[in-house]
Amino acid sequence: MKTLIVIREQEYEWLYHIFPDPHPLLIPICNKPFIEFLIDFSILAGSEAIRLVSDGSLRDVEHYCEQGSRWGVQISYGSMQESDDLDAVMEKNRRYCSNTRVLIIRGFVFIRYDKQNNYKTLFTSLPPGELRRCSHGSLTFTGTPGVEEQAPGPAPLSLVGLETIGVYYELCNEILRGGSLPYVLPGYSNETDCHIGRNVVMSKSCEIIKPVIIGNNVQILAGTVIGPGAIIGNNVIIDRESTVTESIVLDNTYIGEHLDLEKRIASGNILVEPESGAAITMEDPHLLTGMSTRRVSGALLHTLVHIIMAGLLIALEVIPFLLLLPILKLQGKWKKSRNTYYTSTSGNTVTLSTSAIERSGPLSLLAAALSLDRFPLLFRVFSGELALIASQPIAATPASRATLSRMSGYRAGVFSYAEAEDWPVEGSDTAIVERFYATHGNALLDIAMTWKALFNRVHEKQNV
Amino acid sequence: MEKTIMTFHVDTSTGKKIGIAELSGRLDAISGSELQKSFRLWQQETRDIVFDCVKLDFIDSSGLGAVVSCLRKALEQSSDLRLAGLSKNVSMVFELTKAKKLFSIFPDTREAIKSFSTGNPA
Repeated sequence: MKTLIVIREQEYEWLYHIFPDPHPLLIPICNKPFIEFLIDFSILAGSEAIRLVSDGSLRDVEHYCEQGSRWGVQISYGSMQESDDLDAVMEKNRRYCSNTRVLIIRGFVFIRYDKQNNYKTLFTSLPPGELRRCSHGSLTFTGTPGVEEQAPGPAPLSLVGLETIGVYYELCNEILRGGSLPYVLPGYSNETDCHIGRNVVMSKSCEIIKPVIIGNNVQILAGTVIGPGAIIGNNVIIDRESTVTESIVLDNTYIGEHLDLEKRIASGNILVEPESGAAITMEDPHLLTGMSTRRVSGALLHTLVHIIMAGLLIALEVIPFLLLLPILKLQGKWKKSRNTYYTSTSGNTVTLSTSAIERSGPLSLLAAALSLDRFPLLFRVFSGELALIASQPIAATPASRATLSRMSGYRAGVFSYAEAEDWPVEGSDTAIVERFYATHGNALLDIAMTWKALFNRVHEKQNV
Repeated sequence: MEKTIMTFHVDTSTGKKIGIAELSGRLDAISGSELQKSFRLWQQETRDIVFDCVKLDFIDSSGLGAVVSCLRKALEQSSDLRLAGLSKNVSMVFELTKAKKLFSIFPDTREAIKSFSTGNPA
Protein backbone atom coordinates (compact mmCIF):
# COMPACT_ATOMS: atom_id res chain seq x y z
CA MET A 1 0.00 0.00 0.00
CA LYS A 2 1.00 3.60 -0.55
CA THR A 3 -0.09 6.89 1.01
CA LEU A 4 -0.75 10.13 -0.81
CA ILE A 5 -0.92 13.19 1.43
CA VAL A 6 -2.51 16.20 -0.27
CA ILE A 7 -2.40 19.46 1.66
CA ARG A 8 -3.10 22.86 0.14
CA GLU A 9 -1.20 25.93 1.26
CA GLN A 10 -4.41 27.85 1.96
CA GLU A 11 -5.32 25.20 4.55
CA TYR A 12 -2.25 25.82 6.66
CA GLU A 13 -1.20 29.36 5.78
CA TRP A 14 -3.06 30.77 8.81
CA LEU A 15 -0.29 29.30 10.94
CA TYR A 16 2.32 31.40 9.12
CA HIS A 17 0.61 34.53 10.41
CA ILE A 18 1.03 33.37 14.00
CA PHE A 19 4.29 31.42 13.83
CA PRO A 20 6.39 32.41 10.80
CA ASP A 21 8.72 29.56 11.68
CA PRO A 22 8.73 26.51 11.40
CA HIS A 23 6.83 25.32 8.30
CA PRO A 24 3.21 24.61 9.38
CA LEU A 25 3.58 20.92 8.52
CA LEU A 26 6.48 20.79 10.98
CA ILE A 27 4.62 22.53 13.81
CA PRO A 28 5.26 20.45 16.91
CA ILE A 29 2.35 18.65 18.51
CA CYS A 30 3.64 17.55 21.90
CA ASN A 31 7.18 18.11 20.61
CA LYS A 32 6.65 15.89 17.59
CA PRO A 33 6.31 17.57 14.18
CA PHE A 34 2.80 17.31 12.76
CA ILE A 35 3.99 15.53 9.61
CA GLU A 36 5.51 12.73 11.72
CA PHE A 37 2.05 11.80 13.03
CA LEU A 38 0.87 11.37 9.42
CA ILE A 39 3.96 9.31 8.60
CA ASP A 40 3.45 7.13 11.70
CA PHE A 41 -0.18 6.56 10.78
CA SER A 42 0.70 5.72 7.17
CA ILE A 43 3.21 3.14 8.40
CA LEU A 44 0.65 1.66 10.82
CA ALA A 45 -1.74 1.44 7.87
CA GLY A 46 0.84 -0.65 6.04
CA SER A 47 2.22 1.90 3.60
CA GLU A 48 5.64 1.33 2.11
CA ALA A 49 5.74 4.65 0.29
CA ILE A 50 4.42 8.11 1.12
CA ARG A 51 4.07 11.01 -1.28
CA LEU A 52 3.46 14.50 0.01
CA VAL A 53 1.78 16.84 -2.47
CA SER A 54 1.13 20.54 -1.97
CA ASP A 55 0.78 23.76 -3.93
CA GLY A 56 3.01 25.51 -1.39
CA SER A 57 6.73 25.17 -0.75
CA LEU A 58 7.74 21.87 0.84
CA ARG A 59 11.44 22.68 0.99
CA ASP A 60 11.65 22.70 4.80
CA VAL A 61 9.57 19.54 5.08
CA GLU A 62 11.75 17.82 2.50
CA HIS A 63 14.84 18.94 4.36
CA TYR A 64 13.44 17.47 7.58
CA CYS A 65 11.96 14.19 6.30
CA GLU A 66 14.44 13.61 3.46
CA GLN A 67 13.72 10.33 1.68
CA GLY A 68 12.13 8.72 4.74
CA SER A 69 14.97 6.34 5.62
CA ARG A 70 14.53 7.33 9.27
CA TRP A 71 11.12 5.66 9.26
CA GLY A 72 11.97 2.86 6.84
CA VAL A 73 9.58 4.13 4.14
CA GLN A 74 10.12 5.84 0.81
CA ILE A 75 9.02 9.48 1.03
CA SER A 76 8.68 11.53 -2.14
CA TYR A 77 7.33 15.00 -2.84
CA GLY A 78 5.09 16.40 -5.53
CA SER A 79 3.57 19.71 -6.52
CA MET A 80 0.13 20.70 -7.65
CA GLN A 81 -1.71 23.76 -8.89
CA GLU A 82 -3.90 25.70 -6.49
CA SER A 83 -6.86 24.98 -8.81
CA ASP A 84 -6.25 21.22 -8.99
CA ASP A 85 -8.98 19.06 -7.50
CA LEU A 86 -8.29 15.62 -6.10
CA ASP A 87 -8.88 13.94 -9.47
CA ALA A 88 -6.33 16.22 -11.10
CA VAL A 89 -3.83 15.44 -8.34
CA MET A 90 -4.46 11.71 -8.80
CA GLU A 91 -3.97 12.09 -12.53
CA LYS A 92 -0.66 13.90 -12.01
CA ASN A 93 0.48 11.10 -9.69
CA ARG A 94 -0.94 8.31 -11.87
CA ARG A 95 2.25 6.29 -11.96
CA TYR A 96 2.66 6.50 -8.21
CA CYS A 97 -0.94 5.49 -7.59
CA SER A 98 -1.29 2.73 -10.19
CA ASN A 99 -1.38 -1.01 -9.42
CA THR A 100 -1.66 -0.61 -5.69
CA ARG A 101 -4.00 0.47 -2.95
CA VAL A 102 -3.59 4.10 -2.01
CA LEU A 103 -4.60 5.76 1.21
CA ILE A 104 -5.30 9.42 0.43
CA ILE A 105 -5.04 11.86 3.33
CA ARG A 106 -6.52 15.14 2.15
CA GLY A 107 -6.40 18.41 4.06
CA PHE A 108 -4.56 19.86 7.04
CA VAL A 109 -6.02 17.29 9.38
CA PHE A 110 -4.74 15.43 12.39
CA ILE A 111 -5.66 11.76 12.52
CA ARG A 112 -6.57 10.52 15.95
CA TYR A 113 -5.40 6.92 15.98
CA ASP A 114 -4.15 4.36 18.46
CA LYS A 115 -0.87 2.65 17.72
CA GLN A 116 -2.11 -0.48 19.48
CA ASN A 117 -4.71 -1.14 16.77
CA ASN A 118 -3.90 -3.26 13.76
CA TYR A 119 -4.80 -0.82 11.00
CA LYS A 120 -2.88 -2.78 8.40
CA THR A 121 -5.19 -5.78 8.62
CA LEU A 122 -8.26 -3.60 8.94
CA PHE A 123 -7.44 -1.47 5.90
CA THR A 124 -6.56 -4.44 3.71
CA SER A 125 -10.17 -5.56 3.67
CA LEU A 126 -11.81 -2.14 3.28
CA PRO A 127 -13.51 -1.38 -0.05
CA PRO A 128 -12.41 1.71 -2.01
CA GLY A 129 -14.07 4.97 -1.07
CA GLU A 130 -14.13 7.55 1.65
CA LEU A 131 -13.35 6.23 5.11
CA ARG A 132 -13.54 9.38 7.20
CA ARG A 133 -14.40 12.99 6.54
CA CYS A 134 -14.39 16.20 8.50
CA SER A 135 -14.96 19.78 7.42
CA HIS A 136 -11.26 20.20 6.62
CA GLY A 137 -10.27 16.92 5.03
CA SER A 138 -10.83 13.26 4.47
CA LEU A 139 -9.32 9.78 4.40
CA THR A 140 -10.01 7.85 1.20
CA PHE A 141 -8.95 4.50 -0.24
CA THR A 142 -8.44 3.70 -3.91
CA GLY A 143 -7.64 0.35 -5.47
CA THR A 144 -8.94 -3.10 -4.79
CA PRO A 145 -8.69 -4.64 -1.36
CA GLY A 146 -6.06 -7.33 -0.73
CA VAL A 147 -8.57 -9.76 0.71
CA GLU A 148 -12.28 -10.20 0.19
CA GLU A 149 -14.22 -6.98 0.70
CA GLN A 150 -15.95 -6.54 3.99
CA ALA A 151 -18.42 -3.99 5.17
CA PRO A 152 -16.39 -1.15 6.73
CA GLY A 153 -16.35 -1.59 10.48
CA PRO A 154 -15.93 1.23 12.92
CA ALA A 155 -12.26 1.95 12.32
CA PRO A 156 -10.82 3.35 15.56
CA LEU A 157 -9.78 6.70 14.19
CA SER A 158 -11.15 10.18 13.67
CA LEU A 159 -10.06 13.42 12.02
CA VAL A 160 -9.45 16.83 13.52
CA GLY A 161 -9.23 19.75 11.10
CA LEU A 162 -6.43 22.05 12.20
CA GLU A 163 -8.17 25.30 11.45
CA THR A 164 -7.41 27.60 14.39
CA ILE A 165 -4.78 28.02 17.04
CA GLY A 166 -7.45 27.08 19.59
CA VAL A 167 -7.92 23.66 17.93
CA TYR A 168 -4.14 23.20 17.87
CA TYR A 169 -3.90 24.02 21.58
CA GLU A 170 -6.76 21.70 22.51
CA LEU A 171 -5.28 18.90 20.43
CA CYS A 172 -1.90 19.23 22.13
CA ASN A 173 -3.61 19.16 25.52
CA GLU A 174 -5.66 16.13 24.54
CA ILE A 175 -2.55 14.20 23.47
CA LEU A 176 -0.63 15.32 26.53
CA ARG A 177 -3.38 14.14 28.87
CA GLY A 178 -3.95 10.94 26.89
CA GLY A 179 -0.27 10.20 27.26
CA SER A 180 1.91 8.06 25.09
CA LEU A 181 -0.45 5.07 24.86
CA PRO A 182 -2.00 5.96 21.47
CA TYR A 183 1.03 7.76 19.96
CA VAL A 184 4.78 7.52 19.95
CA LEU A 185 6.00 10.68 21.65
CA PRO A 186 9.58 11.89 21.91
CA GLY A 187 11.60 11.83 25.12
CA TYR A 188 12.27 9.42 27.96
CA SER A 189 9.27 8.20 29.88
CA ASN A 190 8.48 5.58 32.45
CA GLU A 191 5.02 7.03 33.00
CA THR A 192 2.55 7.69 30.21
CA ASP A 193 2.03 11.35 31.06
CA CYS A 194 5.58 12.49 31.67
CA HIS A 195 8.18 12.70 28.91
CA ILE A 196 11.58 14.27 29.34
CA GLY A 197 14.11 14.82 26.55
CA ARG A 198 17.89 14.78 26.44
CA ASN A 199 20.15 17.33 28.12
CA VAL A 200 17.47 18.72 30.42
CA VAL A 201 18.94 20.63 33.34
CA MET A 202 16.58 21.15 36.23
CA SER A 203 17.29 23.13 39.34
CA LYS A 204 16.77 21.31 42.61
CA SER A 205 14.14 23.81 43.63
CA CYS A 206 12.00 23.56 40.50
CA GLU A 207 8.72 21.70 40.60
CA ILE A 208 7.48 19.49 37.77
CA ILE A 209 3.81 18.54 37.89
CA LYS A 210 2.40 15.91 35.54
CA PRO A 211 1.20 15.74 32.83
CA VAL A 212 4.22 17.30 31.25
CA ILE A 213 6.43 16.96 28.19
CA ILE A 214 9.87 18.51 28.15
CA GLY A 215 12.04 18.58 25.02
CA ASN A 216 15.79 18.40 24.49
CA ASN A 217 18.34 20.98 25.65
CA VAL A 218 16.11 22.62 28.22
CA GLN A 219 17.19 24.58 31.27
CA ILE A 220 14.69 24.94 34.07
CA LEU A 221 16.06 27.32 36.64
CA ALA A 222 15.47 27.70 40.35
CA GLY A 223 12.01 28.13 41.77
CA THR A 224 10.14 27.43 38.54
CA VAL A 225 6.91 25.46 38.42
CA ILE A 226 6.35 23.46 35.24
CA GLY A 227 2.91 21.93 34.79
CA PRO A 228 0.39 20.59 35.07
CA GLY A 229 -0.34 20.54 31.37
CA ALA A 230 2.94 22.03 30.20
CA ILE A 231 4.61 21.23 26.92
CA ILE A 232 8.14 22.59 26.77
CA GLY A 233 9.87 22.38 23.39
CA ASN A 234 13.54 21.98 22.50
CA ASN A 235 16.23 24.53 23.28
CA VAL A 236 14.21 26.40 25.88
CA ILE A 237 15.23 28.29 29.00
CA ILE A 238 12.68 28.88 31.75
CA ASP A 239 14.24 31.46 33.99
CA ARG A 240 13.94 31.72 37.77
CA GLU A 241 10.65 31.71 39.65
CA SER A 242 8.50 31.45 36.52
CA THR A 243 5.41 29.31 36.22
CA VAL A 244 4.28 27.43 33.11
CA THR A 245 0.87 25.78 33.46
CA GLU A 246 -1.45 24.47 30.77
CA SER A 247 0.80 26.16 28.25
CA ILE A 248 2.93 25.31 25.28
CA VAL A 249 6.43 26.71 24.96
CA LEU A 250 7.64 26.02 21.44
CA ASP A 251 11.27 25.48 20.43
CA ASN A 252 13.98 28.12 20.86
CA THR A 253 12.19 30.23 23.43
CA TYR A 254 13.44 32.06 26.48
CA ILE A 255 10.92 32.69 29.26
CA GLY A 256 12.15 35.44 31.55
CA GLU A 257 12.18 35.56 35.34
CA HIS A 258 9.10 35.74 37.55
CA LEU A 259 6.64 35.21 34.72
CA ASP A 260 3.36 33.41 34.79
CA LEU A 261 2.44 31.56 31.61
CA GLU A 262 -1.01 30.14 31.97
CA LYS A 263 -3.09 28.82 29.06
CA ARG A 264 -0.77 30.43 26.56
CA ILE A 265 1.47 29.44 23.68
CA ALA A 266 4.91 31.02 23.56
CA SER A 267 7.11 30.76 20.52
CA GLY A 268 10.24 32.90 20.40
CA ASN A 269 8.97 36.36 21.26
CA ILE A 270 5.38 35.61 20.19
CA LEU A 271 2.79 35.06 22.87
CA VAL A 272 -0.59 33.64 21.88
CA GLU A 273 -3.84 33.38 23.76
CA PRO A 274 -5.33 30.21 22.19
CA GLU A 275 -8.87 30.93 23.29
CA SER A 276 -9.18 34.18 21.36
CA GLY A 277 -6.36 33.59 18.92
CA ALA A 278 -4.81 36.94 19.91
CA ALA A 279 -1.07 36.97 19.32
CA ILE A 280 1.35 39.62 20.42
CA THR A 281 4.99 40.06 19.58
CA MET A 282 6.89 40.87 22.73
CA GLU A 283 9.44 43.58 22.11
CA ASP A 284 10.95 43.20 25.55
CA PRO A 285 13.64 40.51 25.42
CA HIS A 286 13.77 40.28 29.22
CA LEU A 287 10.26 38.85 29.22
CA LEU A 288 10.02 36.55 26.25
CA THR A 289 12.30 36.10 23.32
CA GLY A 290 13.54 33.73 20.69
CA MET A 291 16.87 32.00 21.00
CA SER A 292 19.28 31.09 18.27
CA THR A 293 21.35 27.97 18.68
CA ARG A 294 24.99 28.89 18.75
CA ARG A 295 26.74 26.53 16.40
CA VAL A 296 30.36 25.45 16.80
CA SER A 297 31.31 27.76 13.92
CA GLY A 298 29.49 30.61 15.71
CA ALA A 299 31.34 29.92 18.95
CA LEU A 300 34.64 29.84 17.08
CA LEU A 301 33.86 33.14 15.37
CA HIS A 302 32.89 34.57 18.73
CA THR A 303 36.22 33.56 20.28
CA LEU A 304 38.13 34.79 17.24
CA VAL A 305 36.45 38.19 17.39
CA HIS A 306 37.29 38.47 21.10
CA ILE A 307 40.94 37.62 20.40
CA ILE A 308 41.21 40.14 17.53
CA MET A 309 39.56 42.85 19.64
CA ALA A 310 41.85 42.07 22.58
CA GLY A 311 44.88 42.28 20.25
CA LEU A 312 43.66 45.62 18.93
CA LEU A 313 43.20 47.01 22.43
CA ILE A 314 46.65 45.77 23.48
CA ALA A 315 48.18 47.53 20.45
CA LEU A 316 46.36 50.75 21.33
CA GLU A 317 47.14 50.68 25.03
CA VAL A 318 50.64 49.23 25.21
CA ILE A 319 52.46 52.57 24.95
CA PRO A 320 50.27 54.48 27.46
CA PHE A 321 50.49 51.45 29.76
CA LEU A 322 54.31 51.27 29.63
CA LEU A 323 54.61 55.03 30.15
CA LEU A 324 52.05 55.48 32.91
CA LEU A 325 52.51 52.27 34.93
CA PRO A 326 55.94 53.15 36.47
CA ILE A 327 54.77 56.66 37.34
CA LEU A 328 51.54 55.49 38.97
CA LYS A 329 53.42 52.76 40.83
CA LEU A 330 55.88 55.31 42.15
CA GLN A 331 52.99 57.55 43.21
CA GLY A 332 51.37 54.57 44.93
CA LYS A 333 48.22 54.96 42.86
CA TRP A 334 48.43 51.55 41.15
CA LYS A 335 47.09 48.94 43.56
CA LYS A 336 47.30 45.25 42.77
CA SER A 337 45.49 42.34 44.31
CA ARG A 338 45.38 38.63 43.55
CA ASN A 339 42.24 36.63 43.66
CA THR A 340 40.76 33.44 42.24
CA TYR A 341 37.70 33.68 40.03
CA TYR A 342 35.37 31.27 38.32
CA THR A 343 35.90 31.31 34.57
CA SER A 344 32.63 29.63 33.58
CA THR A 345 29.65 27.72 34.92
CA SER A 346 31.73 24.53 34.81
CA GLY A 347 33.40 25.76 38.01
CA ASN A 348 36.91 26.11 36.52
CA THR A 349 38.90 28.83 38.21
CA VAL A 350 41.68 31.21 37.31
CA THR A 351 43.89 33.27 39.57
CA LEU A 352 44.11 36.84 38.37
CA SER A 353 46.14 39.85 39.40
CA THR A 354 43.62 42.63 39.22
CA SER A 355 44.59 46.29 39.41
CA ALA A 356 42.85 49.35 40.74
CA ILE A 357 43.83 52.93 39.99
CA GLU A 358 43.41 55.59 42.63
CA ARG A 359 41.59 58.35 40.77
CA SER A 360 43.41 61.47 41.78
CA GLY A 361 45.58 63.59 39.54
CA PRO A 362 45.52 63.87 35.77
CA LEU A 363 47.76 60.87 35.03
CA SER A 364 45.76 58.41 37.11
CA LEU A 365 42.53 59.80 35.65
CA LEU A 366 43.93 59.32 32.16
CA ALA A 367 45.05 55.77 32.99
CA ALA A 368 41.63 54.95 34.39
CA ALA A 369 39.87 56.51 31.39
CA LEU A 370 41.95 54.32 29.09
CA SER A 371 41.03 51.28 31.23
CA LEU A 372 44.72 50.52 31.73
CA ASP A 373 43.79 48.62 34.90
CA ARG A 374 42.31 45.97 32.60
CA PHE A 375 45.34 45.91 30.28
CA PRO A 376 47.09 42.88 31.90
CA LEU A 377 43.82 40.91 31.75
CA LEU A 378 43.59 41.32 27.97
CA PHE A 379 46.32 38.67 27.54
CA ARG A 380 44.04 36.15 29.27
CA VAL A 381 41.68 36.40 26.30
CA PHE A 382 44.33 34.75 24.11
CA SER A 383 44.53 31.76 26.45
CA GLY A 384 40.73 31.51 26.55
CA GLU A 385 40.62 31.96 30.34
CA LEU A 386 38.62 35.17 29.98
CA ALA A 387 36.26 36.52 27.37
CA LEU A 388 36.84 40.10 26.26
CA ILE A 389 33.32 41.00 27.31
CA ALA A 390 31.06 38.75 29.36
CA SER A 391 30.04 38.65 33.02
CA GLN A 392 31.70 40.38 35.93
CA PRO A 393 34.16 37.74 37.29
CA ILE A 394 32.78 35.97 40.37
CA ALA A 395 35.33 35.37 43.13
CA ALA A 396 35.71 31.64 43.77
CA THR A 397 34.40 31.08 47.28
CA PRO A 398 32.21 28.29 48.68
CA ALA A 399 29.35 30.80 49.02
CA SER A 400 29.61 31.99 45.43
CA ARG A 401 29.54 28.42 44.08
CA ALA A 402 25.77 28.40 44.65
CA THR A 403 25.45 31.73 42.83
CA LEU A 404 27.45 30.30 39.94
CA SER A 405 25.11 27.34 39.56
CA ARG A 406 22.24 29.79 38.99
CA MET A 407 24.17 31.91 36.49
CA SER A 408 23.15 30.27 33.25
CA GLY A 409 25.73 31.03 30.53
CA TYR A 410 28.17 32.73 32.92
CA ARG A 411 31.64 33.45 31.58
CA ALA A 412 34.18 35.74 33.22
CA GLY A 413 35.16 38.70 31.07
CA VAL A 414 37.72 41.50 31.06
CA PHE A 415 34.79 43.87 30.64
CA SER A 416 31.24 43.12 31.68
CA TYR A 417 27.95 43.61 29.90
CA ALA A 418 26.73 45.50 32.96
CA GLU A 419 29.51 48.06 32.40
CA ALA A 420 28.48 48.37 28.76
CA GLU A 421 24.88 48.93 29.75
CA ASP A 422 26.02 51.33 32.47
CA TRP A 423 24.28 49.32 35.18
CA PRO A 424 25.66 49.00 38.68
CA VAL A 425 28.06 46.04 38.54
CA GLU A 426 26.54 44.37 41.59
CA GLY A 427 23.04 43.14 42.31
CA SER A 428 20.29 41.05 40.81
CA ASP A 429 19.57 43.47 37.96
CA THR A 430 23.13 43.04 36.77
CA ALA A 431 22.66 39.28 36.80
CA ILE A 432 19.61 39.68 34.56
CA VAL A 433 21.50 41.89 32.08
CA GLU A 434 24.49 39.58 32.01
CA ARG A 435 22.37 36.46 31.66
CA PHE A 436 20.45 38.07 28.82
CA TYR A 437 23.59 38.87 26.86
CA ALA A 438 25.13 35.51 27.72
CA THR A 439 22.16 33.92 25.99
CA HIS A 440 21.69 36.37 23.14
CA GLY A 441 25.17 37.73 22.58
CA ASN A 442 26.88 37.41 19.24
CA ALA A 443 30.22 38.44 17.83
CA LEU A 444 28.98 41.70 16.31
CA LEU A 445 27.07 42.67 19.42
CA ASP A 446 30.14 41.96 21.53
CA ILE A 447 32.23 44.40 19.46
CA ALA A 448 29.65 47.11 20.03
CA MET A 449 29.29 46.26 23.72
CA THR A 450 33.07 46.36 24.25
CA TRP A 451 33.27 49.87 22.81
CA LYS A 452 30.26 50.88 24.91
CA ALA A 453 31.97 49.52 28.04
CA LEU A 454 35.16 51.42 27.20
CA PHE A 455 33.20 54.59 26.55
CA ASN A 456 31.23 54.24 29.79
CA ARG A 457 34.42 53.77 31.74
CA VAL A 458 35.84 57.01 30.25
CA HIS A 459 32.60 58.76 31.08
CA GLU A 460 32.57 57.32 34.58
CA LYS A 461 36.06 58.59 35.30
CA GLN A 462 35.28 62.08 34.00
CA ASN A 463 32.46 62.32 36.49
CA VAL A 464 34.73 61.45 39.37
CA MET B 1 9.08 55.87 17.12
CA GLU B 2 5.60 56.46 18.47
CA LYS B 3 5.58 59.02 21.27
CA THR B 4 3.92 58.53 24.63
CA ILE B 5 1.37 61.16 25.45
CA MET B 6 0.19 61.62 29.02
CA THR B 7 -2.66 63.93 29.84
CA PHE B 8 -4.14 64.46 33.26
CA HIS B 9 -7.40 65.88 34.51
CA VAL B 10 -9.45 65.62 37.66
CA ASP B 11 -12.91 64.08 37.59
CA THR B 12 -15.46 65.14 40.19
CA SER B 13 -18.55 63.53 38.66
CA THR B 14 -19.01 61.19 41.62
CA GLY B 15 -18.41 63.89 44.20
CA LYS B 16 -14.91 62.62 44.83
CA LYS B 17 -11.78 64.03 43.28
CA ILE B 18 -10.34 61.31 41.07
CA GLY B 19 -7.33 61.98 38.88
CA ILE B 20 -7.55 60.55 35.38
CA ALA B 21 -4.25 60.07 33.58
CA GLU B 22 -4.68 59.14 29.95
CA LEU B 23 -1.70 57.20 28.66
CA SER B 24 -1.28 56.65 24.95
CA GLY B 25 1.38 55.19 22.67
CA ARG B 26 4.26 53.27 24.18
CA LEU B 27 5.27 52.94 27.81
CA ASP B 28 8.94 51.96 27.99
CA ALA B 29 12.05 52.93 29.96
CA ILE B 30 12.04 56.55 28.76
CA SER B 31 8.34 57.28 29.06
CA GLY B 32 8.20 55.20 32.28
CA SER B 33 10.63 57.58 33.90
CA GLU B 34 8.51 60.55 32.74
CA LEU B 35 5.43 58.84 34.11
CA GLN B 36 7.00 58.47 37.54
CA LYS B 37 7.95 62.15 37.60
CA SER B 38 4.48 63.21 36.47
CA PHE B 39 2.85 60.88 38.98
CA ARG B 40 4.45 62.78 41.86
CA LEU B 41 2.90 66.00 40.55
CA TRP B 42 -0.48 64.38 40.00
CA GLN B 43 -0.45 63.08 43.56
CA GLN B 44 -0.27 66.66 44.78
CA GLU B 45 -3.59 67.37 43.03
CA THR B 46 -5.53 64.28 44.02
CA ARG B 47 -5.13 61.17 46.18
CA ASP B 48 -6.76 58.53 44.00
CA ILE B 49 -5.73 58.14 40.40
CA VAL B 50 -6.92 56.09 37.43
CA PHE B 51 -4.64 55.29 34.50
CA ASP B 52 -6.77 55.27 31.37
CA CYS B 53 -4.92 52.83 29.12
CA VAL B 54 -7.37 52.62 26.22
CA LYS B 55 -4.86 54.26 23.86
CA LEU B 56 -1.81 52.56 25.35
CA ASP B 57 -0.52 50.26 22.61
CA PHE B 58 2.64 48.86 24.12
CA ILE B 59 4.25 48.33 27.50
CA ASP B 60 7.56 46.67 28.28
CA SER B 61 9.10 45.54 31.55
CA SER B 62 10.53 48.99 32.27
CA GLY B 63 7.14 50.61 31.64
CA LEU B 64 5.52 48.02 33.83
CA GLY B 65 8.11 48.75 36.52
CA ALA B 66 7.13 52.42 36.33
CA VAL B 67 3.42 51.62 36.75
CA VAL B 68 4.19 49.35 39.73
CA SER B 69 6.36 52.10 41.19
CA CYS B 70 3.41 54.51 40.86
CA LEU B 71 1.18 52.02 42.66
CA ARG B 72 3.73 51.71 45.44
CA LYS B 73 3.84 55.51 45.82
CA ALA B 74 0.06 55.63 45.91
CA LEU B 75 -0.16 52.92 48.57
CA GLU B 76 2.51 54.67 50.66
CA GLN B 77 0.17 57.69 50.76
CA SER B 78 -2.78 55.42 51.66
CA SER B 79 -4.38 56.22 48.33
CA ASP B 80 -4.90 53.98 45.32
CA LEU B 81 -4.04 53.66 41.66
CA ARG B 82 -6.47 51.80 39.42
CA LEU B 83 -6.19 50.86 35.78
CA ALA B 84 -8.84 51.02 33.10
CA GLY B 85 -9.24 49.97 29.47
CA LEU B 86 -6.24 47.70 29.03
CA SER B 87 -5.80 46.60 25.43
CA LYS B 88 -5.19 42.93 24.67
CA ASN B 89 -1.46 43.49 24.19
CA VAL B 90 -1.03 45.37 27.43
CA SER B 91 -3.31 43.01 29.32
CA MET B 92 -1.26 39.99 28.21
CA VAL B 93 1.91 41.60 29.54
CA PHE B 94 0.19 42.25 32.88
CA GLU B 95 -0.93 38.61 33.02
CA LEU B 96 2.43 37.25 31.99
CA THR B 97 4.28 39.21 34.64
CA LYS B 98 1.68 38.52 37.35
CA ALA B 99 1.20 42.30 37.66
CA LYS B 100 -2.54 41.81 37.09
CA LYS B 101 -2.78 40.50 40.65
CA LEU B 102 -1.38 43.76 42.03
CA PHE B 103 -3.84 46.15 40.41
CA SER B 104 -7.54 46.80 40.39
CA ILE B 105 -8.32 46.73 36.69
CA PHE B 106 -11.57 47.92 35.10
CA PRO B 107 -12.92 47.66 31.56
CA ASP B 108 -13.29 51.44 31.26
CA THR B 109 -12.59 54.67 33.12
CA ARG B 110 -16.23 55.16 34.15
CA GLU B 111 -16.22 51.85 36.02
CA ALA B 112 -12.90 52.69 37.63
CA ILE B 113 -14.16 56.08 38.83
CA LYS B 114 -17.34 54.51 40.17
CA SER B 115 -15.34 51.91 42.10
CA PHE B 116 -13.82 54.60 44.30
CA SER B 117 -17.31 55.62 45.44
CA THR B 118 -18.64 52.11 45.93
CA GLY B 119 -15.41 51.01 47.59
CA ASN B 120 -15.45 48.01 45.31
CA PRO B 121 -12.02 47.26 43.89
CA ALA B 122 -12.11 44.86 40.88
